[in-house]
Order: sequence, then C-alpha cells, then structure tokens
Amino acid sequence: MKKEAQLFKSLADETRLKMLWLLMGQKELCVCDVIDVLGITQSKASRHLRYLYHLGWVTDRREGVWMNYRLSVAPGSPEDKQLKLLADILSSQPEAQALRDRLEQWLAAKGQGKDGATACQCS
Amino acid sequence: MRTEARFFKSLSDETRLKILWLLSGTEELCVCDIIDVLRITQSKASRHLRYLYHLGWVTDRRDGLWMNYRLCVPPGSPGEKLLKLLEEILAPQPEAQALRGQLALCLETKRHTECAKRRKSSQKRSLQELPET
Repeated sequence: MKKEAQLFKSLADETRLKMLWLLMGQKELCVCDVIDVLGITQSKASRHLRYLYHLGWVTDRREGVWMNYRLSVAPGSPEDKQLKLLADILSSQPEAQALRDRLEQWLAAKGQGKDGATACQCS
Repeated sequence: MRTEARFFKSLSDETRLKILWLLSGTEELCVCDIIDVLRITQSKASRHLRYLYHLGWVTDRRDGLWMNYRLCVPPGSPGEKLLKLLEEILAPQPEAQALRGQLALCLETKRHTECAKRRKSSQKRSLQELPET
C-alpha cells in the first residue's frame, strides 16, 4: 500500500495540485507557462514537474531550452480516477477557475506574440 | 487550493492510508486494535489518529484508558468521495484485504477474551457473594 500512499502524495502539495489542474485543461504545457501562471520560480516548477514525471503522471518533450509536459494517465487507472475526483472537487472553486483563466490569457498572449513572446523564448 | 492539497496529504502516508482503510471497513476502532493490526507503536498510532482528527476525518470517544475513533465524513463531501476512491483502488489488492482479515480476527479474539474476562469477574463476584448469603 506504499504505492497508493505515494500516489496520493503527488496531490499532497499545493503546487503539484495546481500543475495537474492546469495540465488537465490543456494538451501540453511548457515549463514557462507554469512559471507564469503560478508565479513561481523556474527551479520550483521544474522540480515538481520532474517529480510528476518520475511517478508517471506526465511525459516530457524537449523544445529548444524548454521542456514541455503533458499528462500520460491511462484511462481507468487509479491516477485517472484521482484526476477525475480532483476535477470534481476543484471545478466549483473560484480560485481554481481563476487559474485556468489566467492560463488561457497567457496562452493567447503568447500565441499572438505580444508580451508573451518577449517573456518566453519557447514560442 | 491549499485545503485540497492538505486533504490529499491525509492519504499520502502509508500508515494513515491503512488506518483510513481499516476505519472505512468498520464502525469504530480502538487505538489498541490499530496497534495490533498494523504492528505499530501506540505513539505512532495515536499521532496519526490525532492528525486525522484535526483534519475532520474522524471523531473520538474515550473509553477508560483508550480512545476510540470512527469516521465522520458527511455524505457527498470531498472526504467521502476520496474514501470511495480509496475503496475502489484498494479493494482488489491482496495486501489491503489481508489487513481487513487481520482486523476481523483481532476483533473476534478481543470479543472472546472480553467475554472470558467478564465471565471470570462475574464468577468471582458470585463466589464473594456466597458466604454472605
């Protein structure tokens, strides 16, 4: 039952919880997206994303100097069920919705090459 | 979202996970049952149970020297949903089933010894009462 405890530990940290929540709403995210939306340092973002990577929650893809991450959870797996529960709990919360909105705004700005392009070298 | 992280943290420890698993299979447990089944020290069991108590997972009831704990998650609450998920994940696992089996055995033995103790004390009482009558 150590494995299950470890599984729940992935969501026991506020930053990791937010990262999974953001990843659930997108196909793929760059570390720089996570840094901007959560307002954390690059080292903190990368550390938690590597943690999630080593536990099999996400896969990575390098693009220049930045790493991109996407969820890699098998349908029906305990991880998948946990994410569904998380979505169920968070979807009604203003704080969680605000995070997703901020992500949308950031991605839109990045896509248009406005202030996002200067702040992030990945696009 | 800190509350939610803390909420998941309740299950991020193997001992707490096992305690919740045992509690969700029965009505009420004494600290001594948990010590027996999980083979941990009293201080470790009590520490984790107090942790669960302060986060609102369980309520307590004192019975002499020992504390008894039972789950107190309202229906439809995130806590209840999480326990259901835990049940779903652990039910097919032999290790988890073995723990519940051990608990059933432990409770059964306790019931027998308590019965024996009660019988003994009532015998003693009746023997003491004899000369008076």
